Amino acid sequence: MKLPRLSRRDWLRLTAAGVTGYSMSGWLETLAADVAQHPTRKRSCILLWMTGGPSQMDTFDLKPGHANGGPFKEIRTSSPDLRISEHLPQLAKFGDRMAVVRSMSTKEGEHGRATFLLRTGYQPTGPIQYPSLGSLVAKELGSDDAPLPNFVSIAPARFFNSAAYGPGFLGPQYAPLIVGDNNSFFQNQDGTYEQALKVQDIDLPNGVNRAHAEARIDLLQEMEGDFLADHPGVAPLSHRTAYDRAVKLMRTDANKAFNLHEESPKLRDRYGRNLFGQGCLLARRLVERGVPFIEVSLAGLRENNMFFNWDSHQQNFQAVRKLSEILDPAWGTLMEDLSVRGLLDSTLIVWMGEFGRTPKINGGQGRDHFPNAWSTVLAGGGIKGGQAHGKTSADGTKVETRPTTVSDFLATICLALGIDPLKQNNSNVGRPIRIADKAAQPIKEILL
Amino acid sequence: MGWFRLHVCCGFLLLSATLGRAGSPTEAKPLDEVAALADRIDRLVEAGYDANDVTPAPLADDAEFVRRVYLDLAGRIPHVSEVHRFLDENAPNKRRALVEDLLKSPYYVNHFTNVWRALLLPQNNDQQVRFFAAQMENWLRPQILENKPYDRMVRDLLTTSLGNSGMAMRPRNPANNGAAIFYQVNESKPENVAAATSRLFLGIKLECAQCHDHPFASWSRNQFWQFAAFYSGIRPQQPQAGVFSQSLDEPRKREIKIPNTEKTVQARFLDGTNPKWEEGASSRAVLADWLTSPKNPYFAKAIANRLWGHFFGIGIIEPVDDLGENNPPSHPELLDALGQAMADHRFDLRFLIRAITASRTYQRGSRSTDPSQDDPRLFARMSLKGLTPEQIFDSLAVATGYRGTPVAPGNFNRFNGVRADFLTKFSNGSDKRTEYQTSILQALSLMNGKFIADATSVERSETLAALVDAPFLNDRQRLDALYLAALGRPMRDREVSRILPYLDRGGPSGDKSRALADVFWALLNSSEFIFNH
Repeated sequence: MKLPRLSRRDWLRLTAAGVTGYSMSGWLETLAADVAQHPTRKRSCILLWMTGGPSQMDTFDLKPGHANGGPFKEIRTSSPDLRISEHLPQLAKFGDRMAVVRSMSTKEGEHGRATFLLRTGYQPTGPIQYPSLGSLVAKELGSDDAPLPNFVSIAPARFFNSAAYGPGFLGPQYAPLIVGDNNSFFQNQDGTYEQALKVQDIDLPNGVNRAHAEARIDLLQEMEGDFLADHPGVAPLSHRTAYDRAVKLMRTDANKAFNLHEESPKLRDRYGRNLFGQGCLLARRLVERGVPFIEVSLAGLRENNMFFNWDSHQQNFQAVRKLSEILDPAWGTLMEDLSVRGLLDSTLIVWMGEFGRTPKINGGQGRDHFPNAWSTVLAGGGIKGGQAHGKTSADGTKVETRPTTVSDFLATICLALGIDPLKQNNSNVGRPIRIADKAAQPIKEILL
Repeated sequence: MGWFRLHVCCGFLLLSATLGRAGSPTEAKPLDEVAALADRIDRLVEAGYDANDVTPAPLADDAEFVRRVYLDLAGRIPHVSEVHRFLDENAPNKRRALVEDLLKSPYYVNHFTNVWRALLLPQNNDQQVRFFAAQMENWLRPQILENKPYDRMVRDLLTTSLGNSGMAMRPRNPANNGAAIFYQVNESKPENVAAATSRLFLGIKLECAQCHDHPFASWSRNQFWQFAAFYSGIRPQQPQAGVFSQSLDEPRKREIKIPNTEKTVQARFLDGTNPKWEEGASSRAVLADWLTSPKNPYFAKAIANRLWGHFFGIGIIEPVDDLGENNPPSHPELLDALGQAMADHRFDLRFLIRAITASRTYQRGSRSTDPSQDDPRLFARMSLKGLTPEQIFDSLAVATGYRGTPVAPGNFNRFNGVRADFLTKFSNGSDKRTEYQTSILQALSLMNGKFIADATSVERSETLAALVDAPFLNDRQRLDALYLAALGRPMRDREVSRILPYLDRGGPSGDKSRALADVFWALLNSSEFIFNH
């Protein structure tokens, strides 16, 4: 039977009203096929990755008045239906563009495994090398001819699980271009971010000028000709492709995307003069140039020999406040900047970490790992803002409505980006793997 | 003048020096068996050419062979001196003699230790892999060095005593048992250890059957858990510590509950037979007896196929660890023959290596001379194989004369520094060597990174300095020397006409020594360098 061609909005309405007889998975299949046929829905995605697991109770799901709530106050946002932490005031101006998912309920409470789960959609099992979300999006939305890579990872702190940042079985052509690789939890607040946000090894080595470099590349290409002609196959072609892209990046203006000095000092100040703030600014510059997936990581910071990070087993409130003061101007300015440039409707912003933190405050004024009930945020393109999806109990320990799995969440991201979440890729174990698990139930209420 | 300078001189300049070197006369009988198996391989593969109307590629010349066999056995390209020694050798059996020499070298031990370590440690979390790599290697190295029969090596791994491996935090503690790491990295979970055992040593992927009956193959969920029941006594000492917890074992436990069901199953072999339990027998030992038996066709075929994949980049069954009935071999008779040879030769891995490398099939050129050779599963020409990160770095070190600070094998701290950074950047998610893919950062690193920049700088590279300074070399000889260092072969005539003029005019800078550096740079960045062919 041929399915009627309904728009996605029609399907949402029909299924919401219970008109159609299709099961959820049937609904997803139809919607997915529908979405995939609309090239105009293609969007960019900026993932704000909070390494260590940020506290939902002190950011997006406050429990004022409850013993578990802690000292932070809730403030109003631009939407009457959404309140968030008092330490996110700039972001609050964009409440109408944000949907907070307060009912995340996941299965891993250890950093390494949880990082893998949230970033790939799958638990680490056996030999299957699952790709990172960025690689999956790069494959679906990217272009092989683009001068810039299709997946850029800014300031990743990959120590919990570096495989979760890689292309897995999709292969190196979907690997992120990494800038500001961060092997410690803490970013310095000094000026080192300037250097860190440049592409590694993009500059010619000392003593080699442009003309010289071109001559060497010509020489290389001449040598390659014979070998490639004599050895047809995938592998040498991939080698050649990577070199072509690298040379393109070196030669063209594309590399200028990484030159933040083109921005006004005032705007740079507003993003925050730190690795994360400037990373968000860089993300906007990359979105402008059509890069489909950019992630910016925020793990922790070091200030006056004090360390603060999202993994706030001790002194949670101090840490979350400090990190909010980095997060808020960066993300708030990013929302505004994208909006002013007309890019907010075509850019999905995702905020998440690997899990949330225990509602109960421990003896050290800290909060521990908690995957049972926590929050993530979707904002901007494709998202019906001004709402919270799902609800936790008054003490924050349980999801009361609409529990959301990792697959549900990732499938929602896919749909917001115009990607079919059921699309299968061939894995390294010879069995096809879907982008999101087939059981996924995307959160239709927050999709536009 | 550093050692490399001397090395260069020996290699480049004493072109006529033929080192009288004895072959390996002591192993006459095994060598005949080697030849017989090599011949069998060739006849079975060549039957495939006939059936598919294939014109195979001619045999590789000595230069192509020496580079290939060094990369496959020693994990690095040959030094110029080693290339010369081989090219100048006149003995008719010199290819086999070279294989013998390499099998006795420490490079073979290092390389195969790396290869097995990569197999035994899951790649999902390389932070953890790094942590455990040294211990695993400490266990593997003596096995490779002694050429321990493969069935015994696997038996030792499967029956190693657990619970007394000492502190995992101290990798160099001699009390530590590297084999126990296999259980730890599988999180001390019976189902994980079972799936890894089956995949690695039987070539059977049971993972999918863990949760449901396998949709394609014949393995049921019940069978999976019956197999996992042999490991039912395995548990972590501290469950919350994940892979960092030691594994404990109750050796006589033989039943397991299938999660989310009320069903408990007893240990049973994958072929459906029931173990004969003797009083007090350890479940793992009973499993190991069955698994490593010469009568177990999967065990012998799985290792034969894996070794074949190592040398050809693609298995007779591909992927090499999926011997399921839905994935037929390209050459069933060949796989049977190799499996039988393994069982007949007491699982002597070196015997199979000798036979494979002695075959015409392995010794074919990689250059395509006819479109009929393009299906890699017909083995009508050698496929290009991507190098492992270790192979790339160690080969760059050979080509450029790099002398890093030597670090003792097994030292945990070897994961810092130039080599470690390089290995991280070049780690590759896919283990399909014939479909190797390069990333942009890898390309940038090879083009502009400090390591290559130093190696190709006239001021800082000893290889280049030695060549530039040698007054008795002409330009052609200098270029030949660079080609030999990087690619293990002299220049071809058609290359001379393109490259020599570049050197003559001194490249864009008009400086001959810099132009020489440019050629070296281009060689190190070329596909011909970065692949094994």
